[in-house]
Amino acid sequence: MTENSSLLTAAADASRHAAARQTVIARNIANADTPGFVAQDVVPFSRVMTADTDRFAIRNTRSGHMAGGSGVDPRVVVDSSALGAATPDGNTVSIEDQMVRAADARQQHDLALTLYRKSLDIMRIGLGRG
Amino acid sequence: MSDLLSAMQSSVSGMTAQSTRLRVSSENIANADTPGYHGKMVRFQETIGADGTARVSTAAPELSNQAVERIYAPGHPLADAEGYYDGSNVSLMVEIADARQAQRSYEANLKMFDQARAMSSSLLDLLRR
Repeated sequence: MTENSSLLTAAADASRHAAARQTVIARNIANADTPGFVAQDVVPFSRVMTADTDRFAIRNTRSGHMAGGSGVDPRVVVDSSALGAATPDGNTVSIEDQMVRAADARQQHDLALTLYRKSLDIMRIGLGRG
Repeated sequence: MSDLLSAMQSSVSGMTAQSTRLRVSSENIANADTPGYHGKMVRFQETIGADGTARVSTAAPELSNQAVERIYAPGHPLADAEGYYDGSNVSLMVEIADARQAQRSYEANLKMFDQARAMSSSLLDLLRR
């Protein structure tokens, strides 16, 4: 039961991360023609299981990541100018690159929501209401 | 959820900015043959809204400083002593390329809006169970 609940937390965290990434990508695309705008991205969502305990533990990309709610800014914004050369006006947004990243964010969001839903299903079965 | 809402707001501001650019571009094309007309250009800038949402907006249009075309037409009412009058400085090729780029960027913003909407509705689907 406890494992399941931390799985739910992990799924919620992953979907929050995907939403934050979508926001940053939408901002990049909105500024695709703004002179001097540098494309940004969030730090990839990564989690590891710690070796010392057998419980799920999430390594945060920022402090307070698990706090939840939108009051805390969940993103660590970094330069993402991996693809596409800067235009003469200093803009580094490549729409193709952003589309790939957006598809990735969408996929991560879907994955997180599916995980959440399935965890809820398992809890429901455990309660005998499956 | 609020992240997705601000993503949608960013996309909407992008669409608004691109449609302003398209409007200015079409004004330029409409006036391509107006004597003495100077083409307008909009400049995009990033702004942060009151709610902390990143948006893009257009600054006031600036006049293009390209030289106006000198057209030889001795019979024209505006022609000077040598038979020339000032045309517009609008380059149709540049304007059409600009309009096409505005359209493509608009579509990209629309796609992002649609994706944020789909993501938030799938999030709300969790509540519907």
